[in-house]
Amino acid sequence: MTQAEIKLCSLMLQEHFGEIVEKIGVHLIRTGSQPLRVIVHDTGTSLDQVKKALCVLIQHNLVIYQVHKRGVVEYEAHCSRVLRMLRYPRYIYTTKALYGDTGELIVEELLLNGKMTMSAVVKKVADRLTETVEDGKTMDYAEVSNTFMQLADTRFVQRCPMVHAPENSDTQPPPPAPNLVINEKDMYLVPKLSLIGKGKRRRSSDEDAAGEPAAKRPKHPTDNKEPIPDDGIYWQANLDRFHQHFRDQTIVSAVANRMDQTSSEIVRAMLRMSEVTTSSDAPFTQPLSSNEIFRSLPVGYNISKQVLDQYLTLLADDPLEFVGKSGDSGGGMYVINFCKALASLATATLESVIQERFGSRCARIFRLVLQKKHLEQKQVEDFAMIPAKEAKDMLYKMLSENFISLQEIPKTPDHAPSRTFYLYTVNVLSAARMLLHRCYKSVTNLIERRQFETKENKRLLEKSQRVEAIIASVQATGAEEAQLQEIEEMITAPERQQLETLKRNVNKLDASEIQVDETIFLLESYIESTMKRQ
Amino acid sequence: MAGNKGRGRAAYTFNIEAVGFSKGEKLPDVALKPPPLFPDTDYKPVPLKTGESEDYMLALKQELRETMKRKPYFIEKPEEKPDIERYSKKYMQTYKEEWIPDWRRLPREMMPRKKCRKADLKSKNAKGTDKVSSLIDTADVLKKIEELEKRGDGEKSDEEYEEKEGSKEKRKEGDDNEDDNDDAQQEDYEDEEELEEENDYINLYFEDEDDFGADSDDNMDEATY
Repeated sequence: MTQAEIKLCSLMLQEHFGEIVEKIGVHLIRTGSQPLRVIVHDTGTSLDQVKKALCVLIQHNLVIYQVHKRGVVEYEAHCSRVLRMLRYPRYIYTTKALYGDTGELIVEELLLNGKMTMSAVVKKVADRLTETVEDGKTMDYAEVSNTFMQLADTRFVQRCPMVHAPENSDTQPPPPAPNLVINEKDMYLVPKLSLIGKGKRRRSSDEDAAGEPAAKRPKHPTDNKEPIPDDGIYWQANLDRFHQHFRDQTIVSAVANRMDQTSSEIVRAMLRMSEVTTSSDAPFTQPLSSNEIFRSLPVGYNISKQVLDQYLTLLADDPLEFVGKSGDSGGGMYVINFCKALASLATATLESVIQERFGSRCARIFRLVLQKKHLEQKQVEDFAMIPAKEAKDMLYKMLSENFISLQEIPKTPDHAPSRTFYLYTVNVLSAARMLLHRCYKSVTNLIERRQFETKENKRLLEKSQRVEAIIASVQATGAEEAQLQEIEEMITAPERQQLETLKRNVNKLDASEIQVDETIFLLESYIESTMKRQ
Repeated sequence: MAGNKGRGRAAYTFNIEAVGFSKGEKLPDVALKPPPLFPDTDYKPVPLKTGESEDYMLALKQELRETMKRKPYFIEKPEEKPDIERYSKKYMQTYKEEWIPDWRRLPREMMPRKKCRKADLKSKNAKGTDKVSSLIDTADVLKKIEELEKRGDGEKSDEEYEEKEGSKEKRKEGDDNEDDNDDAQQEDYEDEEELEEENDYINLYFEDEDDFGADSDDNMDEATY
């Protein structure tokens, strides 16, 4: 964990769970796994607070526990999982695009609460949706649970590890911590709630007849007593699946940019075919024959088999190697090479960063070194066709910023500079790591700036909130227009202007956070896939 | 090349011209201070992406941040007293929904076990003894039974009745060994509780809601986050 990551984790935890949780979380990230008593001692926080904080962190899947010998339970924080909180808006938005408002709310609830039972999610989402639709209409539980089942089928949500109850527990004292096991088979298996769902629907439709919306229904006392049908089966958002989806989308749009819309549709069809058959961390998709691809192209996409084959050959010949040819059977077998694709995307990101930070001539040198692998200084000057002095200046600038690295090859064992080759090269992996680190720093800075802006204008914000509250309450009682205007004038014109500026700045900072995270995602995926291959 | 050695720029063991300095040119000064906090950039940053999806995600992000603060998972620091107590503060308080973690999924040490239990018992005892002292006359016991029956809370009233009977008997034995009595009572309670359900922690540690009356608010803090 680098300092930048820890700092970012600290800010994320503080914004989402408050300072106490932040203190415990950061302590765990810094020190690794620790037992409860040590955490209490080292952080100087009261036992109760530490327990609460740990419960919150475990609930949100940010901390896991493990029983060590002699029954000591140790807690360990997942730093990378904490950083994922930055991406929550994107997960939610993606589900909205794929599964509409219902899917959006399901994932939002799961992310907000860490883990929930399906019945709780369905109930909450149905209530929330009922609030938004017009009076008299309600949202059926069945409809929500249908969407939930779709999400489980496409693996966007998954079960949390289950508590494995030890048998004949009467004789032995219960273990200090429950044993959580993952059952691969059941990961995406939705509990049979159909019966219960019907029951619930019937009840809500009964109430429909009575003209009472479900959201306003007072809690029946019987609700508490009736056993929860899926008690103990908790669900969480499957972030890896989301990442797989993001990756696929990026590849499709990259192909569309490089070639054309049709080829991107072909790639999209290939990705969709292998979505379920290929695990999210595989370097290639399963080989797909051109016949299969032809059959699974979206209906109404009128291209002949011949044109498809031409496109596939073209894609396979492309130097970026997004698509590779793996055999000739079945009219040609094709795979999508995720490793290569991610590497190309990461390299493109590096290039564009250099272009925007150092200018196009630097980018030219960078691309040159990237292409030729190793170059001597003199060669760089010649090939780039840039005056020697400027070329040197640019090269050194990129070297000092660690985008380009220098390899020494001594001709004699004494490493004398005059008898040594100095070769400039680009190590894409380490440059990507460095850039990722910078991205973390940027997000940290953005959040800190946003908090500073908000803090500076705290008084003003509170005032505007108060005024808004007053207006709302006065409006509810049905006041006159003049009265409302009078209240509105409690905020003076310069204050209003200041508020506007603040809002604009905060919006800009927030938007930047989301967009830096896109780069973070790309670089992380690239680094992860490359590390796995090695 | 050879001229560089021995005289003048002897500090360098390599040909200085190769790095881009012509002969006799002044070398840049050694940097002795850290680089500026906000350095000038040669190139202006490109504008952010804008569009419908970006706007929606922005709204989602800001909403998410606000919602998180209102969730029970957001643990606030115990507030120090403000200098001026504001009238408006009263109305700005938001009441968070309660959250009872699923204890089956958490290590046992996470449970606010002892304290909660003791406090719980204490309040229960207090309740019990209060009632007992007010109902010292045996005639009143009948009344009480009727009352309990009216409440219709079958199971529970039976229990309470038994408890009361038990405690009364012990009371008769004498006041001097009241401590022992309390202990015995506690044991009684525990037995009963364990009979109810062996492994349902929630029931075990968070008894019926009735018990969380006005007098046991502090217990609530312990139990729910």
